[in-house]
Amino acid sequence: MYLHIGVILLVMAAAYTAANRLKLSVELRMLSATLAGGITGAFFHTPPLMQLGRHMIEGSFTYLDVMLVFVTATIFIEIMATSGSVNFVVRGIVTTFFRVRMLALFLLMFVILIPGALTGAGSVSVLTVGAPCALALGYLGVSRGRSAAILFIIAGLSAAAPPVNIWAMIVSAGTAIPYVGFELPLGIPVLLLGTFTMLTLGWRQEQRLSLEQVLAEMPPVPEGMAWWRVALPFGVFFGLVVIGRVLPFTIPIMGLPLQFVLSAAVALAVSPGPINILTLSRDTVKKLTPLLATMAVVGAMQQVMTVTGVKGLISFAVISVPLIMLYALLVFIIPASEGVLTYGGAAIIGIPLVWFLDSRGLHATVVIAGLSLLWPLGDGLPPTALIGRLTMMVTEYRESYISFLKKTWIPWLAITLVGILMVIFSAKLAFLVEWSM
Amino acid sequence: MTVIMIVYYLITAFTAAMLIWNFIREKSDRQKMVLYLIVLTPLLLRILRIR
Amino acid sequence: MTRTAIYKMSLAAIFGLVSGIAGYQFYEHRHYQAPIIAGPGVTRVVKLHEYCPSLKGTPADTDVFFLEGAGDGGTVLLVANTHSNEPAARLTAEIFLENCTIQKGRLIVIPQFNNSGSRNTKPGDGYPLYFEIPTAWGKKKFRMGNRNASPLDSWPDPDVYIHYPDRSLLSYLDVRNTNRTWPGRPDGPLMERVCFAAMELIRNEQVDVAIDIHGAETMFPVTNCIVAPEKSSRIATMVQLMTQAMEGFTVNVYPSPQNFRGLSHREIGDYSNAMPFLLEAPIPFLDQPTGPKTEELLLTGRDPLLLSLARQGKLFVPYDEYGWPMKNRVGQHCSVILEIMNQLSQASPERAVVAENVPRYKDVLEHDVGYYYHNPATADPARVYPN
Repeated sequence: MYLHIGVILLVMAAAYTAANRLKLSVELRMLSATLAGGITGAFFHTPPLMQLGRHMIEGSFTYLDVMLVFVTATIFIEIMATSGSVNFVVRGIVTTFFRVRMLALFLLMFVILIPGALTGAGSVSVLTVGAPCALALGYLGVSRGRSAAILFIIAGLSAAAPPVNIWAMIVSAGTAIPYVGFELPLGIPVLLLGTFTMLTLGWRQEQRLSLEQVLAEMPPVPEGMAWWRVALPFGVFFGLVVIGRVLPFTIPIMGLPLQFVLSAAVALAVSPGPINILTLSRDTVKKLTPLLATMAVVGAMQQVMTVTGVKGLISFAVISVPLIMLYALLVFIIPASEGVLTYGGAAIIGIPLVWFLDSRGLHATVVIAGLSLLWPLGDGLPPTALIGRLTMMVTEYRESYISFLKKTWIPWLAITLVGILMVIFSAKLAFLVEWSM
Repeated sequence: MTVIMIVYYLITAFTAAMLIWNFIREKSDRQKMVLYLIVLTPLLLRILRIR
Repeated sequence: MTRTAIYKMSLAAIFGLVSGIAGYQFYEHRHYQAPIIAGPGVTRVVKLHEYCPSLKGTPADTDVFFLEGAGDGGTVLLVANTHSNEPAARLTAEIFLENCTIQKGRLIVIPQFNNSGSRNTKPGDGYPLYFEIPTAWGKKKFRMGNRNASPLDSWPDPDVYIHYPDRSLLSYLDVRNTNRTWPGRPDGPLMERVCFAAMELIRNEQVDVAIDIHGAETMFPVTNCIVAPEKSSRIATMVQLMTQAMEGFTVNVYPSPQNFRGLSHREIGDYSNAMPFLLEAPIPFLDQPTGPKTEELLLTGRDPLLLSLARQGKLFVPYDEYGWPMKNRVGQHCSVILEIMNQLSQASPERAVVAENVPRYKDVLEHDVGYYYHNPATADPARVYPN
């Protein structure tokens, strides 16, 4: 059995490399590997050939609801951006706190954290508030390279931040551990590490501009824009989330996509200028398509790897490592699994890992929280490098990808250290879970 | 079927429509054309209430 | 026609073809009916919606079989396929339905508790769509379902599922998990209505013992066991001792946690007079570190990767080259259920439930599971219930 699974794994790797040579996009490289793995598996009847299509399509359903959250959340934030709301907020922060630079950086951190925290996707943060925030960081004297590094790290932390952390949700669902008690184990490290990132990468003021120069350079805010126009759509969204939590047995289950749709409708209604919702939605879906396709293909890949035994073999390899060595390897394995499989890494490695660590007396919820600080780092690693690529795009950072990654090393190290320590000392940090409930 | 469930089918159908629109408009990027269909497949099977 | 147009049409045709074939397979699976034969002991069959009218006409409605004895006694409820990807439950329930006669008291069986879940597949986990049990008259084919109800029947999921009435926060998926939605409510999400109907059945029919049959991974600490709250713990311990002494297999007893809400072994006990028991038999197929997810693995539970992990001391059940075949799991469930009935009868003779013609562990090991199933083609059509 080991041999035939090994052959399938090798064929998948070869197909991936070949697709890379053919300059196919990351999503199509993963699709090629999946298809090749599935066809090779069919030779061993794992799966039967006539079931291969079913397995691939069934797998693509794995993250269907997450895909709908991405679409509706991004349309909502795009409406806010098109209406001028995002520029209005960034301009407000820069104007008010220009002379208290650290406070301005701190507030910008929150602006980047919110979309990702709400949707569980760092990419939503990058796509929606990334460009204006990178501009604002520039006005505050942060170089373009460091701005890109800040955006990448904070967007990653935003995805890990509560209330929605997709990695934690996937692992919790797969291990029958309730997705509860994550607020403090995730919230506290995210805020501390976010502040640390802002301090280390944003402290040095590499160029000095006057407030007048900055305001002249910033994108204009449409006439009629006001705070209430910004606050109302967010108020509706948070209101719907809160009312669902406070009156769960009175209010029917709406789900995040519908909550975003309703908030988007309000944002559209209070926009100072007209917005063509159809073209905005079309362009948003176009922009999101690589991300959505990644989700669909990762699901398909996960399913094919499961049915062929490849996933089992990888899980087996991880669990077979001695505990001390495992802690050291997590530093590499967790981000690498994200780099290769995006959210699939959480299912393939995270689920058996958490069971194993739980059985060794570690606190599962804190372990999941610790690991889910490490997973977003993998969004900067090839082959997918999802958030890394998006960050380079929106910040218009033109130098090499490696030079961009190098700029993130200090917060990367800090996040790794905090994540691993949370795993190792999870039992001692269990009080954070209790305080969250 | 509840009203909210119907709304979800509409949201899914709207997303699918946007993907089809982009697929039709796409003139040159052949890889992107494949991506549109990859995303579209589960959405269509959900709209048709097959899975 | 331009080359781009031809390319697009070819792409659409390929995707259409693959989706068409897969779509047909999904459709077939969702609508496939695996017949249940009501044996000589079955006295009546009702629908679950009789205990919660809002279930009527929904895909979550399901059959409830009554096996009533001539003598007065107590009532035992068997709930199977709460999780339809743990199929030893339904196989056990069908052995009871097709063979069991009740001398005293009543047995109520719900063989397909999460009906919607049994018609759902599990994305990402690569299950086969069906599995077959060999019998004397051919193979009996069953749907391999999912742990959760189908999103075609219950959509959307919340961002976080808030348990009724305790307000515990659970994973969003648990809104479709009938072992998280107990005790339920009549106007809640669909799976809460299923559990509410079962709670009403338990209260109205004065059920003494409610047994929920499951399977769990060999790497999951709570496996190969009986989970019981305080009120059921004495009987559970006696069952553990008796089966170990008399039948040669070991099941552990785990206490039902007070603060983990929504589970049958917690809520049935808290919201009715019944004593709940949740039975877990190992199902290696569900473990993550296994080889290919084949029908063979599902039925034999034999896997070299798990064997290697067992040798490293990383499993929670005894495991060797023999694996954990279906007949061991089903046989174990049969014996544990019979022993629970026996212990109930001894503890409260006026509430006794006496069952006959049900095989015990050693019988199932000897004859295998399919031996106890009858041919639906030759059975009285009035006694065959498509499910």
